[in-house]
Amino acid sequence: MTAADKDALSTTDPREAGIQLRTGLWQTINERYPGSMIRKESYVRQAQLAKPLASCRLTLVSSCGVHLKTEKPLDVCHPFGDFRFMRVPSRVKHEELIIHQLKYPHDDADLDVNVIFPIERLQELAQEGRLGGLTANFFSFIGYNMDPEKFECTVAAGIAEEVVEEEQADCALLAPA
Amino acid sequence: MGLIQRAIEERGVPTVSVTVARDVTEAIKVPRALFLPWPMGHHFGAPFHRDLQRRVVLAALGLLESSNEPGTIMDLPIKWADVRREAKTLTEQGRKL
Amino acid sequence: MSVPYLREAAAQDDVGKLVRFVRLHLGDGNETVGKEEIDQSWAETIKILLRDQPVDREFITQVLEKDEATLALLFYHLHFYLIRRSGRWIHDGSR
Repeated sequence: MTAADKDALSTTDPREAGIQLRTGLWQTINERYPGSMIRKESYVRQAQLAKPLASCRLTLVSSCGVHLKTEKPLDVCHPFGDFRFMRVPSRVKHEELIIHQLKYPHDDADLDVNVIFPIERLQELAQEGRLGGLTANFFSFIGYNMDPEKFECTVAAGIAEEVVEEEQADCALLAPA
Repeated sequence: MGLIQRAIEERGVPTVSVTVARDVTEAIKVPRALFLPWPMGHHFGAPFHRDLQRRVVLAALGLLESSNEPGTIMDLPIKWADVRREAKTLTEQGRKL
Repeated sequence: MSVPYLREAAAQDDVGKLVRFVRLHLGDGNETVGKEEIDQSWAETIKILLRDQPVDREFITQVLEKDEATLALLFYHLHFYLIRRSGRWIHDGSR
């Protein structure tokens, strides 16, 4: 194999090419599970930061299903999903957390939860003054669900309500798994 | 996740998400997102690669400050193959701890 | 299939669609793998029972008195428990 052949091969590998690793994911999932994927027709009105980030309280929301080791996990076996969510105290460290999940690879997150739930990186940024602070709790749920309408009324509405009213976040970082 | 992001934004709190599936993010029309060409389960990088995890977080937070156009998706074009190469030693060291 | 889609299938007693969904869920989106997983969990029950260990039939009787929804969900938990025991755990989201 020549160097040119190797180059050609390496650019077709998406990990080398720097393109989306699994293309057409929306279509693939919607074909397998018709009606499970969402398409919205318009954007919501964009909110803006009311103050500099260094004065803002940030919350983190994740579909990675992470939770305190002392708590019972969400139900990863249910075929329709689990329409509850967990609160994760923003002060805890990797050692206190665990992920129970079926639908995404979390071997690396098991070694270092920050790979999918950057709680310690956010703690550091808050300590350095890059962020005004963190909300008392972050939020976690199971991304797999087969009822988008129920999800919107339960998990989405529930987390949004708590983020705004109880945690009084000034901004939010969201990370799917 | 997009539904939650929209619900929070509608309540007046600016949001940004990190995605490895641009087509899914585009379909749900989120306010702002950072796209990375990485595998599921690795939105912030590799184990013990603190600098990279921090870089991703800061890039996402930067979008909160800079984006005023709904549906902004910014690319962070770091190749996954490069991440794995950089992270190999860090992960091995981290495993031993 | 989404839940509304499954409700339609259940109303029409379309067992084919319902089973297809089960296989997709158990196979992480791959129906063939899901079918194999179902066989695998049942095969695992035989391996376990062949060890001729004591069983708690009283506990089973109590469990069977539970409501149908709990027992239907339990079926999934038992399936995944057996698959873990079989050592052929494929659920890592890579499909």
